[in-house]
This record gives sequence, C-alpha cells and structure tokens, in this order.
Amino acid sequence: MVSVINTVDTSHEDMIHDAQMDYYGTRLATCSSDRSVKIFDVRNGGQILIADLRGHEGPVWQVAWAHPMYGNILASCSYDRKVIIWKEENGTWEKTYEYTGHDSSVNSVCWAPHDYGLILACGSSDGAISLLSYTGDGQWEVKKISNAHTIGCNAVSWAPAVVPGSLIEQPSGQKPNYIKRFASGGCDNLVKIWKEEDGQWKEEQKLEAHSDWVRDVAWAPSIGLPTSTIASCSQDGRVFIWTCDDASGNSWSPKLLHKFTDVVWHVSWSITANILAVSGGDNKVTLWKESVDGLWACISDVNKGQGGVSAVTEGQQNEQ
Amino acid sequence: MYLDLAEHLASPSPVDSVCITSAFSHTDFHQFCPSTGRIYQCKNTCKALVDNSCRPKTRTALPKHGLFMLGRLVQVSKNYRSVIRACMEDMHQAAVSARDPALHSQYSTQVSILSAMELIWNLCEILFVEAAVAGPLLLRLLDWVRLHVCDVDNMVREVLSSENPSKHELFWNLGNTQTLTEMELKWQHWHEECQRYLQDGTFASNSHMESICKILLGDENAILEKKELMTTWYHFLVTRLLYSHPTVKPMELRFYAQSSMDLFLGGESSPEPLDTILMAAFEFEMHQVIKECSIALSNWWFVAHLTDLLDHCKLLQSHNLYFGSNMREFLLLEYASGLFSHYSLWQLGVDYFDHCPEYGRVYLELHIERIPLNTEQKALKVLRICEQRQMHEQVRSICKIMAMKALRNNRLGSALSWSIRAKDAAFATLISDRFLKDYCEKGCFSDLDLIDNLGPSMLLSDRLTFLGKYREFHRLYGEKRFSEAAKLLLMLMTAHIAPCSFWMTLLTDALPLLEQKEVIFSAEQTYELMRCLEDLTAGKSDKQKFQDDDVETMKVEMLRLALARNLARVIVKEGTLEGS
Repeated sequence: MVSVINTVDTSHEDMIHDAQMDYYGTRLATCSSDRSVKIFDVRNGGQILIADLRGHEGPVWQVAWAHPMYGNILASCSYDRKVIIWKEENGTWEKTYEYTGHDSSVNSVCWAPHDYGLILACGSSDGAISLLSYTGDGQWEVKKISNAHTIGCNAVSWAPAVVPGSLIEQPSGQKPNYIKRFASGGCDNLVKIWKEEDGQWKEEQKLEAHSDWVRDVAWAPSIGLPTSTIASCSQDGRVFIWTCDDASGNSWSPKLLHKFTDVVWHVSWSITANILAVSGGDNKVTLWKESVDGLWACISDVNKGQGGVSAVTEGQQNEQ
Repeated sequence: MYLDLAEHLASPSPVDSVCITSAFSHTDFHQFCPSTGRIYQCKNTCKALVDNSCRPKTRTALPKHGLFMLGRLVQVSKNYRSVIRACMEDMHQAAVSARDPALHSQYSTQVSILSAMELIWNLCEILFVEAAVAGPLLLRLLDWVRLHVCDVDNMVREVLSSENPSKHELFWNLGNTQTLTEMELKWQHWHEECQRYLQDGTFASNSHMESICKILLGDENAILEKKELMTTWYHFLVTRLLYSHPTVKPMELRFYAQSSMDLFLGGESSPEPLDTILMAAFEFEMHQVIKECSIALSNWWFVAHLTDLLDHCKLLQSHNLYFGSNMREFLLLEYASGLFSHYSLWQLGVDYFDHCPEYGRVYLELHIERIPLNTEQKALKVLRICEQRQMHEQVRSICKIMAMKALRNNRLGSALSWSIRAKDAAFATLISDRFLKDYCEKGCFSDLDLIDNLGPSMLLSDRLTFLGKYREFHRLYGEKRFSEAAKLLLMLMTAHIAPCSFWMTLLTDALPLLEQKEVIFSAEQTYELMRCLEDLTAGKSDKQKFQDDDVETMKVEMLRLALARNLARVIVKEGTLEGS
C-alpha cells in the first residue's frame, strides 16, 4: 500500500546527509557534504528551489524545522563546529544566529516541543550537548551539558510535551510547568535520557543494548497513552524500540525491531507514531509497523535510486 | 478512491473533470482534481455515508429492535454498493470517452477493481449482514451471480431454465411461504421425478436433452461440461447448488465452495486474490476476508467501511486486538489519517476520527495542526473544528502561527487580533510596540478600528493596555474633551502603564493641552507632570544628555516653560474666589 509520491532532484554536488519536511509537509530542506542547505517547495508533486543557503564551511549533517508559530526557522549543524539558525524574513532566507561553542563537529540538532519556547538541542563530537534558548530580540541563551557521552554525541531527540495534571484545567495565560526531557545517543553505545530539574539538566536514564555507536535516536510522538517510546539505531545494524510503561519514566525495556546487514543511520516516526522509517547502509528505506501481536513488521521498502516499490504484497495486485 | 465514490453519488451530470485514484498508487491521485463544487457535494454525501454507518452504534441493540436494526444495516450496505456502482458507471463513461490509450486502460482497470469490490461487498452483505434474514440463501446467491456475471449466454440460460418451467415457478414461489424443510421435501419429490425420466430413457434419443436433465439433477460432470458458459467457479458453485442442493444452509457452503473451486479450476490455474477473498467469505472467516482485502486493495476505504458495517452487525465483537482498540477503530484510523493529506477531504477525516472513541481525539489533535493554513478562511475553519472539540492547545497554537504570519507580512492589525485570540501576552506586547513605533514614525495609527474596540482583551498585556488607552487619549483630544484627556494622559504616566521610553512622547503630547487658552491641568496635575519630566531627565546619564540633539533639548526646554506658565496660571485661577 506504500508508493513513491515524488523524487526530488536536489542538484547537490555531494552526499545528502539529511532531508526534512516542514511542519505542513509543503517544504523540504536538504543538506549535504557540499556545505549547502537547500529548501524546496514540494507541493503537488513539484519541486521548486526556494533557497540555497551557504554559510557552513564543512559537510552539513542535519537540518531541523522549528514550529511555524515562531516563523519560518531552520537550524543546521555541520562538521565545521557551527550551528546556524536561518530565518525567512520578507521572503528571503537569512542567517539569524550562529553558535560556535563546540570544539568539534556538531552532529545533530533538534527543536524542542513548541510549548517549551524556542529551544534547540545540539549534540557534538566533543561529547557535549548544548541547549540554545531564544530569549527575545535576537538573543539566545546557552546551556551546556559537558561530557554527555564519552567520545561524542551523535543524536538528540526531544520527548513530546506532556502537560502534568492535565485533568485539571490550567488558567489561561499561565504557563504550565512541563518536565522537559530529551534522549541522546552517543559513541559510548548508550542512549541517555536527560531531564531538567530546577533549571539544571541531569542524566535520568541510561539505556544499554547496542554494541556499537548509536547513530540516531527518535522519541515517538505521544498518542495519549501513559507509555513512552524511543527508537534507536546503531552502527551494529540493530534497531531497538524502547518502551516505558509508567509515567515516572523509570523502567525502559528494549525490543529488537530488526538486525540489518549494515549500519543503520536514521530512524524517524510518523506523526501519529504508528510507522517507523529506517534508513541504512544497505541502501534501503524501510517502513515498519507494530502488528496486533506486538511484533514489528516491515510494510514496504523502497530501493535506492529506482523509485520503485517492492511491496510485501506486490504479487497480489492483479484483480479480476 | 473515496473521492470518486461519493462524488459520483451526488450528481447525475456528466463528469467534467475526473479524479483518478488508482487503487495502486497515490501518484495518480495528485494529477487530477475535481472542481471545488464537486468537493462540497462529495463531502456531504460522504458525510451522509459516515453518519449512516456510524450513528447506529449509539443505539443499544435491544432484542425487539433487532429486526429494525438489521433492516437499517442492510440498507446501509446497499447504499455502499450503489455508491460503488455509480462510481463504476462514471469510470466506465470516462474510459469510453478517453482518447489517450494509457488513460483508457487506467480507467478500465479502475472499473474492474470497482466491480470486484462490489462483488465482494455484495457477497458479504448476503452472508454476513443478512444472515439473520429468513429465506433461502440460494435465491440470494443466484441473484448475486446473475448480477455480476455479465457473459452468460442468455439463450443457453433460457434453455437451462426452460425445462419444467411451470414446476420451477411453482417451486420458487412456494419457497416464500413455506419452511425450508417443506421446500426440501417438495424438491426431493421433483428431483426423484427427474431421475426417473432419465433412467427411463425418456431423453435417450436427444443427447442435448439428456445432458440438460443430468444438469438438472445436479450431476457435476454434466455441469462441468458446460464450463465455458460459466465464467467463474462461484457461478459453477451456485449452479451446482441450485440443482443438487437448493436448500443449502449458510454453514454448509464452505464444503461446496472449496470443492467447486477445485473442480472448476481443475489444477490448471491457481486461485487469484479475488478467489481467496470470496472463499474466505464462503467459509465465514470474516477476519480472513478483511485481511485479504487489506492486502489486495491499496486503499483503506473498502476494508474500513466494511469492517465498520460488520462491527455494527455485532459480528466482530469477539476479537479484540492487542492494541487496546478494536479492528474497526484501527482501520478507521488508518483511513482517516490518509484523508488528511488531501486539501479538502481532511474535513471528512475529522468526522471519522470523531467516531473513534479510543484514539480518535489524539489522532485528530496531531493531524489537525498539520493542515497547511494557506488562507485565513481555512484557518478559521480549522479553528472552529478545534473549538467545537475543546482542543484549546491546538487553538492557541494555530492562532500563534497565524499571528506570526500576519506580522511577517506587516499586517499588524490582523497579527494583533490573532494574538489576542491566542491569549498570547508576549506576542501582543511585541505587536503593540510595533504599533507605537509606527505611530512615532508616522504620527498616526493604523488599524484604528481594532484598537478602538479592544474592550477587555486590552488587559492581555500591559503594552496592549497602554496602546488602547493611548489611542483613547487621542480620541478624547479629538473630541475636545480636554480635561478627560489630560487626566488620562497623566494617569498613563503615574500609574506606570506607559513604558518609560514613551514618556517623552506623552509629555510632548501634553504640550498643546498646556498651551490652551483655558487652563486644563490643575496645579496638582501640573506638579505631577513636572515631576515626571524631572524623573525623565534625571534618569538620563551625562553621556546621554551630551548625545541629545538640539531638538531634544529644545523639547525639554519648551516643556519646562509651558509647565511653568501653566502652573502660574492655575495657581492664580485656583486662588481666585468664585464670583469675584
């Protein structure tokens, strides 16, 4: 039932490391080893280049769109140790902030849920994670978690904003006290969960299951259940789905999704968290869904470059 | 697919633009879009279908209402089928009139898929929905086959059914008033008579008649000989049952079905997906039917609606899924999620989510925020939906997005009203500042209507309150209500509603009031004003004073002079006895 809708020819001159759709699925941002970040309008199957952003001096590893209530904002991070925040003003995209506080390649950026304000988490090869918060008037406040992961941090992903005591109506205008959490994956083969307490960030949990560098983590969107789910993938070819059943976040248990034949680079959840997309060194993108008995099944795979669909069910498409 | 179905139910007029949704891929879907008018029609009809199928759930199934409910459900099922048929018709028309061969084949494929869908649905209706209805199953199966098998040679059919026509009519007419057992007896009797004719050799001279007689007796081989007249194994099944076992009961079908298929296909060809689905239906394996349909069709419309119908017939109750939600909801959620990627069908998706008691609300919350808000109209529509369902978070979020958009396009008034709606104090402050800045630069306000009619929402942010009150000051001044204006102006400073940066402007605004022929500010008020001025100038550092240009210093000088003069006049006035 899955089909390729569109193929975008980005004209990037080198490997593309990340591609992200914006909040509405109308725009696509891509970044590449050619040091550029490109933005396309992909409505109705088309592809119109809106912007070609130059500013990085090395391969750009990841891009992330902020929530549209803050305007059109895109963050990018690169091997050149910089995090650049781009903003669209009067129809043109410009650099609005540049963060150079890391000593090594910045590997991952992720915007926090909009309820927390405009906050960006950045994970770097220097082992630190920095959090940039917009305080107004073009000013950004920085908080750094040093030595988050030994050797380096490869991925960061925020937990969805859960309103505590949501049964009680919050008076309007008053900001509810959220418990901010995010997950990170590093070169120490660990997935760590961080929690903010009294303005300080503390390591809440350590999730061990991988035998090699963790390349990506993705915290699934919440569908109203008290359970939390995190997907993690690693150099060891494994993808784990971690679930925590109690609201306090104490016991996480892993389930192996699949062992791939090559390194798995990225994992990404759909909006309602029922489909997980996995991409890896085997040149495939696969989509996974949890079946009725709790096992994960692959519902399609798209072969690289061919744009073809080799669906699990392909043989039975001919009707009478 | 869903677009076609409902669209075509609505209007009999020729299709001007056709929406193609291949059951195979979504790419086609994006290529053709119907005109807006059609969308609204189809939305209503689709909505009607949704209401039709979902509302019965709220009624409790009391025994005495059983038949009534059943009747409703059968009607609903027939509605679905008529929708599919209508679509098939239109698609067929489109195929015929298509000049491009690729398009033609695409349409034709669609027609055959729809036809298969209707076939399956009809069978499910007969076997599952109408199960409780008394009356011979075979009759309904006969109708089913007749309806769907187009290639039957009419002449042969006539010949086949002409044998003992009177006996046939009598037989079937009686079927309605008598019980199955009685019918069975009568049939047995007739069967034996036929057998006797055969054995007596009455037809020995005419091999044709003999084979007909054999067929009538339900001789499988004889029927099989006429294989080329029957296009499908289920046609064979029904024919065979008609002549060998017409009072067949639903639970017995499975045996005959399997053997019919084996005999008919004879090991030459393997069963196709459609065959597997039908077989599962004959075996009353509902879950299997749903599963096979899910695999074979690339669109959730069919399984979602069929499952919903079966669920209302209380046929799926015993199977609850690991998820915590049942199969019906699971499929409806999938279907509705798919609708959200369409620029107008998302509204239908909302209705579907409303009918999913477990996860519908959460899914809706997640999806509704992602609808691109191209126009203000669309945003208002989405907001109305959120407000109706008390989705306050989403309302706030959407209002904030619209406010930001408006601000980026320099539409301050719109931005302000959106941020008021979002109860976003910070943003309101930002916009108020912009308004005030504009005023300082241009000397006038934009969006006066909005600011004048803020009402209690003015209190959202201090800056906004100031903006509102400041505008009020200007209004009072314009209406020549000077003393009120004066009082307000002073209050703005003394109550610290006005930001310090604006005090200079306010004091400058006070100048004309001070210069009036009539004394407006009282002595006390004048002292207050002077104090404000001193606070302002004292607050400036020496460096700032040095940087102040001539205009600034002149302003301060003029103010001091005006204040002093006013003070002089007012002291005299207040010291004078009235009447003297």
